[in-house]
Amino acid sequence: MSQLLTTWIFWLAVTLVVFEGIDTVSRRFGRHPLLNPVLWSTPLLIAILLATHTDYKTYYDATMLLTFMFGPAVVGLAVPIWDRRAIIRRLAVPIVVALLAGAVTAFVSVVGLMWLFGAPPELLASVAPRATTTPVAMELTAMLGGIPALAAVATLFSGLLGAMSGRPLFNFMKIDDYQARGFAVGITSHGIGAARAFQTSVSAGTFASLGMALNAIATSILLSALSLLF
Amino acid sequence: MLGAIALLLSCQLAGEIIHRVAGVPLPAPVIGMLLLIGWLALYRKERPGLEAVSAWLAAHLAIMFVPSAVGLIDQGEILKQYGAGLLVAVTVSTFLTMIVTVLVFRWAMRFVKDEKHGGSGA
Repeated sequence: MSQLLTTWIFWLAVTLVVFEGIDTVSRRFGRHPLLNPVLWSTPLLIAILLATHTDYKTYYDATMLLTFMFGPAVVGLAVPIWDRRAIIRRLAVPIVVALLAGAVTAFVSVVGLMWLFGAPPELLASVAPRATTTPVAMELTAMLGGIPALAAVATLFSGLLGAMSGRPLFNFMKIDDYQARGFAVGITSHGIGAARAFQTSVSAGTFASLGMALNAIATSILLSALSLLF
Repeated sequence: MLGAIALLLSCQLAGEIIHRVAGVPLPAPVIGMLLLIGWLALYRKERPGLEAVSAWLAAHLAIMFVPSAVGLIDQGEILKQYGAGLLVAVTVSTFLTMIVTVLVFRWAMRFVKDEKHGGSGA
């Protein structure tokens, strides 16, 4: 029985069952942002690992298949960008200018604050790409010498917070342009924000997913350029 | 379907080669994404298989990063020390990013409208 705990099929199956279980509950409650499946499956799986005295390396190796799927998923973001080329061309100026402003604000503010709190470089490298979609944030963090697990959590938190607070924030600011609203949520809160934006309007959702995909490129280029300087 | 997977993996592989051999400091999948945009622009045709596969992958992104997030299990020390700071920094930064992006987008929209009124055409 204990040998089973070192097989990849055990941990892959457990991960899928846990995730699907929480996802089903989340669906039943209309995808409430607080019922985010990653938010709950992560601590649950950590508890299972602790209870079975399994080290993280064993678990990570066993679930490699899921991690491997990052790459092609990010490459595939090319498809929605290409599909929206007409609107990108028409609104090129606001899209590019807001993208640069948002991408720079996102990492300068978080790195600056963490630096003020006296955080070590590996932590700064873990939060810098937190506004991009999680796989890109983790790739960037690994490249910059940070901790991918922390990047995943900072990114998830940023996504949940933006998805929940975007609507009240923009209403408070009296901004009723759903393209601008969606784009801002996508830049900040990637896929989680985009999913939420689609519930508001198709226009907001389209611009949110566009913001997510473009920010993956912009933040990668900006952070890579900065890492060459230091 | 298999063709679409082959195309995605080829782009990622090309991205990996450009990343490692040419030393381009972007993550390999991001280079792959840019290559795929270029490919779609060069060879314009309907690709229902690629649409389906990339949409399926995008819809299941969440579970792909669960194994990495579980890595928090080894990060107790750093979280104890910087967890609160992390929470504050990410919260402030998230609000700031949304506010800056939405305001700049709206401001820059004026240039789009001005162009139309200026009669520069389509």
